[in-house]
Amino acid sequence: NWNCWRLQDATCAWFTLSSLLDILTCSTLSAARSQHSLFFLSHNLSSSSSHTYTYDPVNPCVLMECVPPCSDRPGFGEETPGVPLSSGPPTPLRAQTFSSFSPSKSYSRQSSSSDTELSLTPKTGMGSGGSAGKEAGPLKVFLRQQTQSALEQREYPFFTLTAFPPGFLLHVGGVVSARSVKLLDRIHNPDEPETRDAWWEEIRQEIKSHAKALGCHAVVGYSESTSICEEVCILSASGTAAILSSRFMQDGPLDVEHRLSRQPLCVFSTGSERVEGDMGSSASLGFEEVVSPGCGFCHIPYDELNIPFPAQLTYCYCCRRYKVPDVLFTTIDLPTEANVTGKGCLIQARLCRTKKKAQGEGNATAISNLLPFLEYELHTQLMNKLKLRGMNALFGLRIQISVGETMLLGLASATGVYLTALPSPGGIQITGKTPSDITYEQHISNMQKKINDTITKNKELYEINPPEVVEEIIGSPIPEPRQRSRLFRSHSESSDEVSELDLSHGKKDAFVLEIDDTDAVEDIHALLTDFSIPAGFYSCNTEIMPGIQNWTSAIQMFTSVRVFRLNTNLTNQGLNKIFSDLCENLLKSLYFKLRSMVPCCLCHLNFTVAIPEDELIQVAVTAVAMSFDKEQTLENGKQSGEKTLIKAITDEQLQFSLELNAETSSPNPLSSPKGLSDVGSHPSARASSVDYSSFADRCSSWIEQLKLKAHTIRRGSVKTTSSMEKASPLPEGRSRSLRSNRSYSGSSVAVVKMTPLSFIPGAKIIKYLGIINMFFIRETTSLREEGGVSGFLHTFIAEVFAMVRAHVAALGGNAVVSYSMKECVFMENPNKNQAQCLINVSGDAVIFVRESELELTSVQPQSATTQTSNGGEGT
Amino acid sequence: MSTELDVFVGNTTVLDEDVYQLWLDGHTVSDAVRIRMEAGALQECEANAEILHSDTMDQFRTFQMCERLLQSPSKVANQLLFQIPPHHQTMLIERYYEFDSVFAREVLGKKLSKGTKKDLDDISSKTGIALKCCRRQFDNFKHVFKVVEELKGPLVENIQRHFLLSDVLARDYAAIVFFANSRFETGKRKLQYLSFQDFAFCAGQLISYWTVGAVDNMMEDLNVDLEKEFLHDLKDLKVLVNDKDMLDQHKSLVCAQLRGKIKVFSEMEASFKNLSRALVNIASKLTHTKDFRDLFIDLVEKFVEPCRSDKWTIGDLRLFLKHYSSSVRMLEAFRHQVIWDRYMGVIQSCILKMYHD
Repeated sequence: NWNCWRLQDATCAWFTLSSLLDILTCSTLSAARSQHSLFFLSHNLSSSSSHTYTYDPVNPCVLMECVPPCSDRPGFGEETPGVPLSSGPPTPLRAQTFSSFSPSKSYSRQSSSSDTELSLTPKTGMGSGGSAGKEAGPLKVFLRQQTQSALEQREYPFFTLTAFPPGFLLHVGGVVSARSVKLLDRIHNPDEPETRDAWWEEIRQEIKSHAKALGCHAVVGYSESTSICEEVCILSASGTAAILSSRFMQDGPLDVEHRLSRQPLCVFSTGSERVEGDMGSSASLGFEEVVSPGCGFCHIPYDELNIPFPAQLTYCYCCRRYKVPDVLFTTIDLPTEANVTGKGCLIQARLCRTKKKAQGEGNATAISNLLPFLEYELHTQLMNKLKLRGMNALFGLRIQISVGETMLLGLASATGVYLTALPSPGGIQITGKTPSDITYEQHISNMQKKINDTITKNKELYEINPPEVVEEIIGSPIPEPRQRSRLFRSHSESSDEVSELDLSHGKKDAFVLEIDDTDAVEDIHALLTDFSIPAGFYSCNTEIMPGIQNWTSAIQMFTSVRVFRLNTNLTNQGLNKIFSDLCENLLKSLYFKLRSMVPCCLCHLNFTVAIPEDELIQVAVTAVAMSFDKEQTLENGKQSGEKTLIKAITDEQLQFSLELNAETSSPNPLSSPKGLSDVGSHPSARASSVDYSSFADRCSSWIEQLKLKAHTIRRGSVKTTSSMEKASPLPEGRSRSLRSNRSYSGSSVAVVKMTPLSFIPGAKIIKYLGIINMFFIRETTSLREEGGVSGFLHTFIAEVFAMVRAHVAALGGNAVVSYSMKECVFMENPNKNQAQCLINVSGDAVIFVRESELELTSVQPQSATTQTSNGGEGT
Repeated sequence: MSTELDVFVGNTTVLDEDVYQLWLDGHTVSDAVRIRMEAGALQECEANAEILHSDTMDQFRTFQMCERLLQSPSKVANQLLFQIPPHHQTMLIERYYEFDSVFAREVLGKKLSKGTKKDLDDISSKTGIALKCCRRQFDNFKHVFKVVEELKGPLVENIQRHFLLSDVLARDYAAIVFFANSRFETGKRKLQYLSFQDFAFCAGQLISYWTVGAVDNMMEDLNVDLEKEFLHDLKDLKVLVNDKDMLDQHKSLVCAQLRGKIKVFSEMEASFKNLSRALVNIASKLTHTKDFRDLFIDLVEKFVEPCRSDKWTIGDLRLFLKHYSSSVRMLEAFRHQVIWDRYMGVIQSCILKMYHD
């Protein structure tokens, strides 16, 4: 079990910040001063003792946009390179992508069984993005090649970030993912990372090749995760294939920052306008693609003549010039510039599959055989639920597969939206298998009616009323969809059954749901019984909800954990129902608890499922509820939305230059690297066309620099503070008043806000204080006396929050952003009256000021720069 | 199939005032869920019983964890475990220390000891207040008493400062502390008609005018002990009834003032001497602990009841007492005017408060 969390920590915790601008300066700097501390807390009947260990961060996360070969992951199990499982290659890599492309393009590691999986993937075009070839011309090709080569210099052109500056994402291809089942006891040398590195290497290669197959050269919103049960381990990776703008890559982020600072308004001009041309060297060279920012990323990146999978392409509903797919699934946040109709909502697909108890290879094979079906059904559910809500795109898609002794659990969460650029989704059509039976027919038509009603209701609820557009007949090179998108289910995959039916829903092609067995009935029921969200609530698992801008300052971050004990001998349907109900009830109870905040939106709803024991399912949710002003949303939503966007960027810019100032103005024993100091002190001086490799060189030299600096800083915390003090971009007066506010306000306890998002509504983050990353272990030998498992965990979580807040307050901060609970491992032994729990949380400590306060103080003269360079207050 | 574990923790502690009240009232979780359902909680947010149960459990757990802090309210603002907005902090504390006056009436004047705590079962069944709730209230009384016992300065302010209570609640606690300290007899059958609020009012009067603290608020220890010197001086008032001339003169003065103004004039005239003697005798005996504890029973037996049997209205009584006490000023031979005023001021308002059915 220890291996379990150690492994995950090392592999999936790349970043807590989620913005490109953070990527270099902030994450690296904050890694340098990150507060890694490990708390062991033992809790006994009457007394609790705690020991605090502080250790140097072993591997400060110095990731650039590329994932380095991981070198210091903790070990697990024993080593055996190459695990022959089924017939086929030595490493039976289970690979699957949502953007089902030709398996021949992907790596040859796939076993024959994985080929079948791929053939099962839906024929609907999921991957998408676009760039019509005709108009583009040779310049565009050249541009792409150039960017591509810049990116391809990196081993893995993967970005773990999920939000990017406008214009950075040129095209989005779709979700790419890969999974692999491994046996941990086959590692010969568990302390050495070679075997595990090789495993991840395979998966990353897989991802890279998937992205290539979609015509993309990079992967954004990339993440890796593991699920371990006994000796079996499922390694998963997923991301979104994308084509990135070359000008950002060439000039490097510093230049981006500069550019944004100079003309933020231009970048954020209204959605439909085109991004201003004079932006960086590539534009001046004439390589800039003329694409409207609101729909550009939806245009397909792949060649429509050699489409990697059958998909329905239409001309973009925004610009009418490029091709777009009918649905788009991504793992990233909704780009700020995207044109969205109506509101979005959280969409979850939940699945439980029983599995025979087995050992070793047999077990791994069983899991491998189940995985494709599991993933396929999850996908089908997502698709159905998306259609049911009348939406056409998913953002922030996160699929978790958990493995237990006797079951596999799959939970896919995403935020559905209606992208204006994409075609309106067709309805869902149900067909019966025996159309002769009259009562049966009636039953079917009832269900059909219900479904249609739900779609209509949902469209109203989410305010989806796209402007009616005259269908233009597009000379699509792919065979016109007589072969229609059919709703697939794993147990009835003989696709020829439906091909004869013509069930068009209006002019749109409908999804056909065929009821051929009890499973199908269940599925449809599940679809319809998903409760509707209570009035006044919205929910999403992305940073923000499209269409809501007027956030009030009321935020409530929360964590909820539920553990459910299952009966034995449950059928798949039974399990499914229980698991689905568990998630639904959890959501419902969240709404109930937060009803006082209405109207509000639950943002960044992050579900984590686990199977801690044989018959237990654990679901943990961390999210933030944010109130918003309904009136204003309706009136001037658009306007203020833009304002927020600009603010957000200015924040990042400030945060950025702030860190740079720290480098230049503090008399650091280390001489600042040239590039860094240049930009810091003379922001106007920017290298016009630095090629990518030199940028990478610069990056690595910074990393070295930062590592050194981190080392120096770690020796004494006093120094850190003083250097941060000097770096303050604020007029002295204000930072003093901030401090005095804190110390003199009646209560001695400072209020610390926490949020999983990267911003605080209505406030401006003026300083980043570094990463908070804490591990807590709590044990009790008096479980009953502490109110049972719930009492124990409730206290523990409350204390974790309290410790995080105290830590931040001690650093002088007043908020934690990008907060996440990465681990919550709970084990109990009620017979012994004992329980243990491990929690790992992380986030960024920040200082924020309310915008209202800021306006008051901003009139002060900016004479502070001279003062600060003289060396702060020395507190 | 069962939910093994179910918790919800917010960065800002989520509190529901109604659920808090249910918890304070000593309801079990299932009771509370039932009551909430009856109150229509299911209409909100499409809730169901399961959700309500889970929510109630969470809240009850939170309150249980908070209870430790609430026992010393100044800690609530300075603890780190729960991030509670100030207005909620105030609400939590105020509600925690609020008590049922029916319960307080039962405990009033009793020693706040373990012995009394054992009787809580009886009080609980008598008043219909859950035992758990009785225990909390009793412990609060005891706790407040213990804390202020050793503090200098004015009682009400001390309570307010240490327990961060509202003025009204702090005054009620002062009354409870005062009664517990002075051990007044309140349990007699004849006193049963008096409510906690009646006694609390009287206690307030006594604290304000008769105690050590009323004269000098920098005295040491609990300044709710009555001023010994004053009690001793009260003996001097005997002259009012012992000196026959003075008694007659007093009576004629009062009668002159009240003639035609009260309905019960003849009854008043007839019982004047008895009433006056009763009041002066009560005053003169206050130095003895036993008689002092019987202050209220004496007032009722010797003054309130005779008036009631003569069917005095409250207006008549008010007028009588006003002139009874002010006429003394016109007695040239009487030299204890200050003591008299201090005594009668309190007695007058106490009697008026106690004069009801």
